[in-house]
Amino acid sequence: MTNSAMAPNETAASEPTRVDREDILTILAKYDGHPGGLIAVLEDIQKKYSYLPREALAIVCQETGSSQVDVYGIATFYRAFSLTPRGKHLVSVCLGTACHVRGAPMVAEEFERQLGIQAGETTPDKLFTLETVNCLGACALGPVVVIDGHYFSKVRTSRVHKLLDKASSGFEEVLTGEDKRVFPIDVSCPRCNHSLMDADFVVDDHPSIHLSVCFDHKHGWMKLSSLYGGFNMVSEHDIPASTVVSFLCPHCHGQLIGRHPCPVCEAPMAPMMVRGGGIVQICSRRGCRHRMLDLI
Amino acid sequence: MPRLSSTRDLSELRDILLSDRDDSTIGIAICAGTACRASGAGDIIQAVKGYIIQNRLQGKIALQTTGCHGFCEMGPFIMTLPQGAFYPQVKLDDVERILAAVLLGEYVEDLLYRDPQTGKICYERDEIPFFKHQHRTILAANQRIDPTRICDYIADMGYAALEKVLNDADPGQVLREIKDSGLRGRGGGGFPTGLKWEMLAGQPSHCGKFIVCNADEGDPGAYMDRSILEGNPHSIIEAMTIGAYATGADEGIVYVRAEYPLAIRNLTVALREAREYGLLGENILNSAMAFDIKIVRGAGAFVCGEETALIRSIEGKMGEPRQRPPYPIQKGIDGKPTSINNVETWANIPIIIRQGAKEFAKIGTKNNSGTKIFSLVGKIRNTGLVEVPMGITISQIVHDIGGGPSGKAKIKAVQTGGPSGGCIPADRFDLPIDYDSLAEAGSIMGSFLRKAAAHLDPAGWQPSGAATEPLPRLA
Repeated sequence: MTNSAMAPNETAASEPTRVDREDILTILAKYDGHPGGLIAVLEDIQKKYSYLPREALAIVCQETGSSQVDVYGIATFYRAFSLTPRGKHLVSVCLGTACHVRGAPMVAEEFERQLGIQAGETTPDKLFTLETVNCLGACALGPVVVIDGHYFSKVRTSRVHKLLDKASSGFEEVLTGEDKRVFPIDVSCPRCNHSLMDADFVVDDHPSIHLSVCFDHKHGWMKLSSLYGGFNMVSEHDIPASTVVSFLCPHCHGQLIGRHPCPVCEAPMAPMMVRGGGIVQICSRRGCRHRMLDLI
Repeated sequence: MPRLSSTRDLSELRDILLSDRDDSTIGIAICAGTACRASGAGDIIQAVKGYIIQNRLQGKIALQTTGCHGFCEMGPFIMTLPQGAFYPQVKLDDVERILAAVLLGEYVEDLLYRDPQTGKICYERDEIPFFKHQHRTILAANQRIDPTRICDYIADMGYAALEKVLNDADPGQVLREIKDSGLRGRGGGGFPTGLKWEMLAGQPSHCGKFIVCNADEGDPGAYMDRSILEGNPHSIIEAMTIGAYATGADEGIVYVRAEYPLAIRNLTVALREAREYGLLGENILNSAMAFDIKIVRGAGAFVCGEETALIRSIEGKMGEPRQRPPYPIQKGIDGKPTSINNVETWANIPIIIRQGAKEFAKIGTKNNSGTKIFSLVGKIRNTGLVEVPMGITISQIVHDIGGGPSGKAKIKAVQTGGPSGGCIPADRFDLPIDYDSLAEAGSIMGSFLRKAAAHLDPAGWQPSGAATEPLPRLA
């Protein structure tokens, strides 16, 4: 039995990276015949590995018949790509004109000073990569900084330290007792209407949500925090990072599977009905914290 | 939801949605665009949901998350319905007070927007000078719909233009309507859209034709296209379908910057919904028309905003521009005829078809019809997106809408048109904003207006306003 928070997706940050050939073939198949094909392929590879490993590019060349000149040409022409491993956290400071006139260069310098690296570099402990970008399109609120996909506006040099601390602890970490963004929900199965709440098994001081879980030929139970905004859970089995599980109702044994996949990682979403009206959906991939809450 | 199999089905669905609506329903709207999210809108939305659930208010208060309203400086905000009150820069601790007041039809006066120049409380959003002086056709739609709900768009007369075209017009009539509207390319070049479409329609179609939406908005300071694509992706889908009908194109592509993940996500959802409803794909609304749209993401190359580089990028190559002729209309993606239009240009299409070209052309000036969305950024009090009729003066934008300088310093100039544009000094702020006036002054329309930092060398123009030399340009 494990007692762990659903950890954020861990980014590969050390060389050499083990490239799974099957992953690359799946990505190639996804974009076969698609306009912009090779660029989209490289984008997906970078999303998976946080950079473009040499081995991955070699597989792309072999499978598509493209020359290394063409593939490396694309990888070096477009600024979004990195041929070197990136840190666990990516810090992007916008130096577009609107942010520039509001002091963005000083913010960039402060990040450089606090991390001990120049823009374009990664810290020796492989935790942070710092880059400057030319315009992120949030120009009214400059200086803008994006860290791990989270946007921050009107950033001053005095805020840099706090942002780096928050990146290290995780932006989605919340103080469940005090945070107004966090609240308990009461859910039931959308198939059989039975309540999924377990008042006898408490997580985060609230009744937990009881689900059955299947993955890799294993079947077990999971008790999730019923705090929307909290991510703690207790699971019968240890679930490896990035595993996509099947969530089932422990009463009717029906699979909880939504119509549309997770917009972040494309794994299935698991819907549950919210008492009073509404649907909450959680991603079925271990490590992906995406969830949606729609009210009537 | 079963697939709509005729324009009549679409019309009936709209009637049902409208009959279910009750304008007296209590609700709140919160912008969930990128800029407001950067200011914490995500947290406010979550806190609002928490309040609704914990107080069992589902069905008693409606929450709508929308795209960009334009007043980015004041985000995250809560707008109340039907009151129309505007609470700017909302903090988590304010949520409970605002919601409690909305339920009673009351106001929280200390949290309402206060005009910084007069000190007056604005009880309704449209009293606020930033909004009052605009002419909001495109951005107004952003306020009313959740971009991830196709029914919001349909109820807001979405796809009514496509319905009209399929019911009542042949391709030639559509082309004439767009030409008569006087719509010019909103990416900044100002080429007449109707003419471009006519040229594409005249190309042979046996190998296929492409229409493209250029959402590679790279000019620093500009984010209008992001807001339209995030906030109203269905308007682009509808527009491109009309464009395909008029020109004979069979494939559509939206080329969007990778730096716009929310726009990509909302467009992906919208495309999926449009296909499910039979508004895109094979046999659209049983009309025998087949047309679909794919998304192609950019990868961080500014040059790919230029059409020949964009085409190469769509082809999966390095985005290197090439000589023209041949023009993309003759030989574009994979050598096929291709027409590329900017996001805002596309956003005007359903409006023109619904209103009619004559009505559309009443706004603006001669040869410069319609509205233009500007990004107003830099050292100005009210930063954000503004939609104004062509021909409005720079002074009206900077002072009436923008509220003047943000600090004590005077505004010395504005930069228009991004890296290809120029700076216009303060003594020329009576200049009307349209393609022709700005070109005469030595700049271009481009996409945005910005107050430049006060480092301009005044040599080169006379205080009276007549430029004796070309106006200074940014590098």
